[in-house]
Amino acid sequence: CNDSKFLDVEPIGALSDDQLNTPANIEKQVIAAYSQLGNDVYRAPYTSMWPYGNVRGGDAYKGGNGTADVDAFHFYETFSFNRVDVGNTDELWFLIYIGVSRCNDALRRLDVVDASAMPNKAVRQGEMRFLRGHYYFLLKELFKRVPYIDQIVPTDKYGEVSNVALSNDELWTKIADDFRFAVANLPETQPEIGRATKSAAQAYLAKTLLYQAYVQSETHAVTSINQSKLQEVVTLTDAVISSGKYSLHPDFATNFLTVGDNGVESVFAIQFSRNDGTPKGRVQRGNELAYPMNPDYGCCGFHQPSQNLVNSFKTDAQGLPLFTTFNNTDLTTPQDFQTNTVDPRLDHTVAIPSHPYKYSPPFIFDTSWLRDQNTYGVYMSMKETVLPSDPSFQKTPPFMGSSKNWALIRYADVLLWKAEALIELGRQSEALPIINQIRQRAANSTARLKTTAGTSTSNYKIGQYQSGQWTQQYAREALRFERRLEFAMEGYRFFDLVRWGIAGPYLNTYFDKEKTKRQYLQTARFTVGRDEYLPIPLNQINFSKGLYKQNPGW
Amino acid sequence: ALAAAATTPAAAAPAEARTPHLADVKVSGRVVDENGAGMPGVTIVAKGTALGTSTDADGNFTLSVPDNVTTLLFSFVGYKSQEVAVSGAAISVTLAPDAAALDEVVVTGYQTQRKADLTGAVAVVKTEEIRDMASNDVTRNLQGRVPGVQITTDGAPGSAATVRIRGFGTLGNNDPLYVIDGIPTKEGINQINQNDIESIQVLKDASAASIYGSRAGNGVIIITTKKAKKGATRVDFSTFFSVQTPGPHLQMLNTLDYGTVYARAAINDGKVPSLPYYNFQTSRDANGNIVLNGVSTPEFIDADKTMRAADTDWFKETQQNALIQSYNLNVSSGSERGGALFSLNYYDNSGTLKYTGFDRITARLNSDYNFLGGKLKVGENLTLVKSQRAEYDLNLVRDRTTQLPSIVPVHTVDGVGWGGPVAGMSDRDNPLRLLTDNKQNRSNTGRAFGNLFADAEILKGLHLRTSFGIDYSLYKFRQIYKTYKAGFLSEQNNRVTDNNRFWGNWVWQNTLNYDVLLGGKHQLGVVAGSERISYYDESSYASRTNFASEDPNYAYLDGGAANKDNGGGATAYRLASYFGKINYSFADRYLLSATIRRDGSSRFGADNRFGVFPALSAGWRLSEETFVKDNAGFLSDLKLRAGWGQTGNQDIANFASLGLYQSLLGTLDPNFEYDRGTAYDIYGNDTALPSGYRRFQRPNPALKWETTTQTNVGVDFGFLENRLSGSVDYFVKNSKDILVNLPYLAVVGEGGDQFVNGASIQNKGWEFLLSYQNKLENGISYNISGNLASYRNKLTYLPAEVINAYGGNGQDVTRLGHSINAVYGYVADGLYQNAQEVSEGPTQIGAAPGRIRYKDLNGDGKVDNFDQTWITEGVPNFNYGLNLGAGFKGFDVQVFFQGVQGLDAFNNSKFRTDFASLATGENWGQRLLNAWTPTNTGSTIPAATLINTNNEGRASTYFIENASYLKLRNVQVGYSLPEGFTTKLKLQGVRVYVQGQNLFTIKSKEFTGPDPEVTNYQYPVPRIFSTGLNVTF
Repeated sequence: CNDSKFLDVEPIGALSDDQLNTPANIEKQVIAAYSQLGNDVYRAPYTSMWPYGNVRGGDAYKGGNGTADVDAFHFYETFSFNRVDVGNTDELWFLIYIGVSRCNDALRRLDVVDASAMPNKAVRQGEMRFLRGHYYFLLKELFKRVPYIDQIVPTDKYGEVSNVALSNDELWTKIADDFRFAVANLPETQPEIGRATKSAAQAYLAKTLLYQAYVQSETHAVTSINQSKLQEVVTLTDAVISSGKYSLHPDFATNFLTVGDNGVESVFAIQFSRNDGTPKGRVQRGNELAYPMNPDYGCCGFHQPSQNLVNSFKTDAQGLPLFTTFNNTDLTTPQDFQTNTVDPRLDHTVAIPSHPYKYSPPFIFDTSWLRDQNTYGVYMSMKETVLPSDPSFQKTPPFMGSSKNWALIRYADVLLWKAEALIELGRQSEALPIINQIRQRAANSTARLKTTAGTSTSNYKIGQYQSGQWTQQYAREALRFERRLEFAMEGYRFFDLVRWGIAGPYLNTYFDKEKTKRQYLQTARFTVGRDEYLPIPLNQINFSKGLYKQNPGW
Repeated sequence: ALAAAATTPAAAAPAEARTPHLADVKVSGRVVDENGAGMPGVTIVAKGTALGTSTDADGNFTLSVPDNVTTLLFSFVGYKSQEVAVSGAAISVTLAPDAAALDEVVVTGYQTQRKADLTGAVAVVKTEEIRDMASNDVTRNLQGRVPGVQITTDGAPGSAATVRIRGFGTLGNNDPLYVIDGIPTKEGINQINQNDIESIQVLKDASAASIYGSRAGNGVIIITTKKAKKGATRVDFSTFFSVQTPGPHLQMLNTLDYGTVYARAAINDGKVPSLPYYNFQTSRDANGNIVLNGVSTPEFIDADKTMRAADTDWFKETQQNALIQSYNLNVSSGSERGGALFSLNYYDNSGTLKYTGFDRITARLNSDYNFLGGKLKVGENLTLVKSQRAEYDLNLVRDRTTQLPSIVPVHTVDGVGWGGPVAGMSDRDNPLRLLTDNKQNRSNTGRAFGNLFADAEILKGLHLRTSFGIDYSLYKFRQIYKTYKAGFLSEQNNRVTDNNRFWGNWVWQNTLNYDVLLGGKHQLGVVAGSERISYYDESSYASRTNFASEDPNYAYLDGGAANKDNGGGATAYRLASYFGKINYSFADRYLLSATIRRDGSSRFGADNRFGVFPALSAGWRLSEETFVKDNAGFLSDLKLRAGWGQTGNQDIANFASLGLYQSLLGTLDPNFEYDRGTAYDIYGNDTALPSGYRRFQRPNPALKWETTTQTNVGVDFGFLENRLSGSVDYFVKNSKDILVNLPYLAVVGEGGDQFVNGASIQNKGWEFLLSYQNKLENGISYNISGNLASYRNKLTYLPAEVINAYGGNGQDVTRLGHSINAVYGYVADGLYQNAQEVSEGPTQIGAAPGRIRYKDLNGDGKVDNFDQTWITEGVPNFNYGLNLGAGFKGFDVQVFFQGVQGLDAFNNSKFRTDFASLATGENWGQRLLNAWTPTNTGSTIPAATLINTNNEGRASTYFIENASYLKLRNVQVGYSLPEGFTTKLKLQGVRVYVQGQNLFTIKSKEFTGPDPEVTNYQYPVPRIFSTGLNVTF
C-alpha cells in the first residue's frame, strides 16, 4: 500500500483522454483538427497538392536539383517508375489520416457532450464533419479506395476496416454525408474567419458530388455521368453564389498576394501565420520548395511550369485559347511573348526570364535563378510564392515560407463547377456567361503586369466566348481549358483529368511531345487503368495483414 | 580459506582487532610482495578466530592472539592467501600474485563474495591493463577485454561507447545497468574518472544480475572506486599526453573526377551533360551517341563571381591532429579509525574534427570512519564532475564533409566569406563553416554522484546498512546560431537559444547482511534489503533572435530584439524494490545461491506494477574434492557452475501505460519532420493562436514487465598452480514480453503510439577465456590472455497484432527465427550486361544494362515485394580479444588485439560511394570512376546514372559486406624506476610509458568502406600516441 502510493506518479505535462471532455477542451480539439489543415511537410504536401495535381497533370515539372531530388515526385511525374513502396506515398496517406483522426477525436467528444453545456455543439460538429469530409476527399482523389473510419468505430476495430469495405460510390456518399451534415448545421457566417461556414460546406458538397457524378469503373474508366448529382451541384453552387458573400477579386493577382487573404474570393482557406507565438511560425510548408535560387531566396527551385502549360496561354486573334494548336510552337524567347498574344494569367502564374517576378517590375526573373534548367527548363511557378519584402515571407532555412493563406476553395472554382455541371447537363448556354465572367476578370487583371517602363510585360489578348459556336462539345472543351488556365499550378489539374476520364490519352499525348523537349521524360508513360490513382502504400497493406486491397494494375 | 570475506561493499576491509581475553601471544612481522616491497593493507587473521589486523604502510604488522592459535592467514586481493604457523620469531611472509585470483573479492550486488565462491557468470576486468588508455570513457577501454561484452564506439571526444552484454536482448534500450559504489545508474559513464576505478566487474547472467532485478535485463557493470588503504598514506600523480591523428575516411571525388563521373552519368542517361559550374566538351559520334571530349571548370562557380572553382578536400579542411591531456592527483590516507581518499582529474581531448573538444574536471572524495570499536562504520563516496563538450551534431558535419562537392572553395574570393553550394548542388552546408560557427556552442554539464552510508554490526557477522545515494546533473547550453551566407544557404537573423536541464534521482537502500560459519563447514551468507529510487527530469529552453552582436560575451538572451520563444517540460518515475539472497557453501566445495527480487515501477499500469525476479545457482568446486586432489595434481582449480534466473526491463516512456494528450504549439524543426502542432490561426490575424491537444500515446493498461530468463552453465579451471587458467560459459537468454512502441496502421491516426509487450527474443552463446602467465628463471614474466565470444540472436515469438511491424513481406514472411539485427531485402545478382539479358530477365521496374539485377526469388517472373529475403543476420560469428603482456626488471609491455569475425554488415557508406543517383548534387565516392560501362563490364559497381529508376537504394545484398576486422588496439611499453633510485628521491614509485592505440586494422578485401567498425559516416576512430608518467609519493 505504501509502495503503491510511492509508485503513483501522475503524468507530467500531459492530459488524459477524459480530461478533454469539457466543453472548453472540446473547443480546443476542434482547433487541433483545423491545425492539421496546414501541418504540411515538403516531401508529402497535402495542402497545395502540387506533386499530385500539377506535376502528374502535365502542367508542371518536378523541378529541383535533377530528377533524383525528391525522386518520389519524379516517379509520380513519369508514372513508369512509380512503385507501391515509395515512402512519400505512405507518409502522405499517414498525414491525411492524422487529420481524420483529429476530427474523429473532436467528434467523439462532441457526440456525448450535453448541448446545454455546449450550446454551439451542432456548429462544431458541422465544422468537424466539414474538415473530415475535406481529409477524406483528399484521400479519395489520391487513392480512390480508402478505409473509412468515423468517430463511431472503436479504436481497437480500426484494423478490421478494409479499404474496399465501401464501394467507390459508397465512399463518395460517405464524404458527401459529412458535407451535408455541415450544410445543415453550419451558420452562414462565423465570428472567427478561419471556421467553415454553410457556404463553404455547400461548395465542398458541390465539388464532391461533381466528382461522384462521373461514375467510374473498377479500372477507373468514366462510364456515365449522373445527371441528378449534376443537378444538385447546380443547386448547391447557386446557393453559394446567391449568398452574396463572394465575388471575384477585380484583379486576379489579389488571390496570390497576402492582401487577398480572407478576401471576397476566399470560400475556404487554410490560415497560415507567422510571428504567431509558435516556435517557427505556421507557414506554408507544402510550398516551401517552390522559390527560385536567387540571393533573396536561396532554395530550392521545385515546381516548374511545363512548356506545354506555358504554350497553353497563347491566344488567337479573338483572344481565345488555341484548343488544338497551342502546343505546335513553343513560347521560349522573350520575343515570343511579344509576337504572340497571351492570356494575362500567364504572367500571374509563370515566372519567365526577363519578366518581372511576382509583380515587382525591377525584380527581374533571370535564368541564373534557376536550379537545373538543363533538365527542367526556364520557367518557375509564382502563384504560391511571395516577394522577399512581403510581410508574410519567412525564410525557414534552407527553405522559404510564407504565411499567406492557401485557398482550398476559391469562388472562381465554385463558378466553374457550376459551369461544368451545366454543360454536362446539356445546359451549356447557361455556362457561357459564367466562363466569360472568369475571362473578363482575367482580362481586367493586367494592372500589375508591367515592366519598369510601364509597358505590358507580355502581349496580352483575351476575349470572350461567343454563343454562336457554343455547342455542348465546344463548351466542354472551353470549360476544361478555362479550368486549366484559371487554376494552373494550384493543384487540381490531374484530378480534373481523372474526373473527366481523359487522363491516360491526354497525358500520353503530352509526353509524346514534351519528351522531345525534356529528355528526362523519355521513359514517362501513363498506364491507363493504373496510374489514375496512387497505389495503396505497401506498408499499409502489410500492416493491415493483407486486409487492404491494392488498386488495380499495381 | 578466508573466513567471512563477504561483507558490504564499503565494508570490504578486514575484521578489526579485538581485546584479547585469553593469554595472549604477541606476533609481529612483515609482509612483502614478490619484488620484496612491503605490502600495506594485507589482511591477517588468526585462524579459527575472528581476530585479525592488517599491515601498515611498510608491510609491518603486530597482532595479539590467544595462545591456542597456531596459524595465521595472510590474504590480499590479487594474491594467493598464505597460512603461516605462529612461532616466537618475527614472521616474514612473501605473498605471491594469484594467477586465478580466486581469493579476489568480487562485488556482486549489495554484498561481496570471493571469486572462488561465485556461481554466476561474472567477469572481472583487469583494470591495470586499461588504466593508462587515453579515453574519456572507461567502457571504451573494455572493448575486446571481456568475452560476451561487445563495445562499439566512434572517435568523437565526448561521446559514450555502446555496450552490449550477451547480444541484443530487447528492442528498446540495450544499455546495461551500471552500479558505481552500490549506486545504480544508466548514464554518464564518460563522466567517471578512470583513475578512480579500483575494479570493474560484469554480471553477465541472470543468476548474478537478478539481485538488481528491475533493470538488470541487459546485464550489470559494477564499478568500485578506490578507497584509502588502512595504514597507508599515498600520493599518486599521473599524467599523459596523447597525439591523435584522424582515422581513415571515405575517398571522395576531386573536382575534375566529379565532372567526369557526372558527365558519364548524364551520357548514360542519354543526356548531354550540363552543370552550371562545369564546362563539358561533348560531341556526337557516327551513331548519334553523345561523346565526352573533356571536362573543365569555369573560373567562378557562381554568377556573382565570389567563389572560385576549387579542388577542396573537405576532410583535410575539417580534420586536425589533436592533443589529449590528462592530469590526475590522488591522495589517500587510512588509519585504524578510517580513511579518506581524494582525487582530482583534468582530462582534455581537443578532437580530430576541429573545434569539437571535450574536457572534464572530476573530483572525488571517498571516506569512511569506524566507531564503537569498528561496529559502526559511516562513510561516503562522492564525485563531482564538470564537463564541457562541443554540442554540435558532429555526424552531420561528417555527412557534409562527404557531401559538399570539391569544386566549392572553403572561402569566397575575399577570403572571409564562406564557400557553399550553388545552383545545381544540393543544399549541403560547408562543413568547416558549421564547425567554425559553432565553435562557441559548448554545453556544460555538472553532476554530483555518490552516497552516504552507515553500516552497523549488530551481532557478529550481522550488518545493517543504510545508504542514501544521489545522482543529479545540471545541463546548461547556450547556443548561438550565427547569421551566415554560404552559397545559396543563408540566414539573416541570428538567434540564441538557452537550454537548461536538471535531472537525476535519489536512491535509498537498506540492507541486512549476515554471514556465519556453522560447524566449521557450512558457510552461510544472507542479504535482504529494500531500495527506492525516485527520478525527476525537468528542462526548458528560451530563445530570441536579432542580436546586435554575435560575440559570445554579448549574445545572452537579453540582447535579443525579437521572437521571444520558450518551452519546457518534465518527467518522472519511481521504483520500489525488495530483494533477498542466500549464499551457502559446504566445505568450500558445494556452493548454492538463491535470489529473489520484487520490483515495482511507476511506469506500468496499477495492476501490473510489480514484477518478481527469482534466480538460483549452484557450483561445485571439484578441485577441492580429495579424489581430484589425489589424482590430478596438475589441476589447481576446477569449478562447475550452473545458474538460472530472471531479470526485468522497464525501459520505456515514463507514463507508457496511459493514454496521453499534449498541447504543442509547433514542432521545433518543421522543415524535415512534419509539423505536429495543434495551434491554428482561427482568427486570421497571426496572433493569440488557440491550441488544442494531440494524442501522443494510446493507453495500454495491461502493460507489464519485460522479463529475461537466462540459464548459464560454466566451468572455471586452473592448471599448473593456476598459471594456466580460464573459463567457459554457455548461456541461453530468453526475453519475453519485450516492451516496444511499434509502428501502426496509419488509420489509427495521430498518437497511435502505444507501448505493448511484443516480441520474444532468444540469445544463445558461448564465451571462452584463457590466460597463461609465467615467470622465467631469468626474471622475465609474461602473460597471454585471450577471449572469444559468440552468440546467436533470434526472434522466437511475435504477437499476431504486431507481427508485421518487425519486417518481412507483410504476408507469409516474418522476422520469426531471425535476428533483430537481420536485414530484409533483395538479392542483388550482379549487373545486367546487355539489353538481351534485360528482356530475358524477370520484369523489374528500371532494369537496364549496367543496372543491378535483383533475383526473382519466387520465380513469378517479376521482381517485387515478394522477392525479398533475410540478407544478413547482422550478428558476427564471434568477437575476440588477445592480450599479450611481459615484464622484465622495470620494463613492462602490453599488446592488445581485438577483432570481430564473420559479420555481414549493411554498409551505408555505399549509398555515397557507389551511386550518383542517390545523392544528387552531392559529392560521390571515387569508386564511381570504375563504374560499369558497356566497355567496363567487369565492374561490380552499377553504371553511373543521375536518376534512380531502378530503385537501387532498396535494401539489398549490394550493401551487405564482410565487416570482419582485427585491430591492434593498444601497444604499451612502460618502465618503472628501480626502487633504490626512487627511494633516494623519496618516492614510492615512478613509471613512465609510451603507448599507441588503434595502430592498424586488418579487414576483409570485400569491405569497401574505410573502417569496418564505422559503417556509417560517423566521427572516425583516431589513432592515438601517448606518453605518460605515474608517480607515487
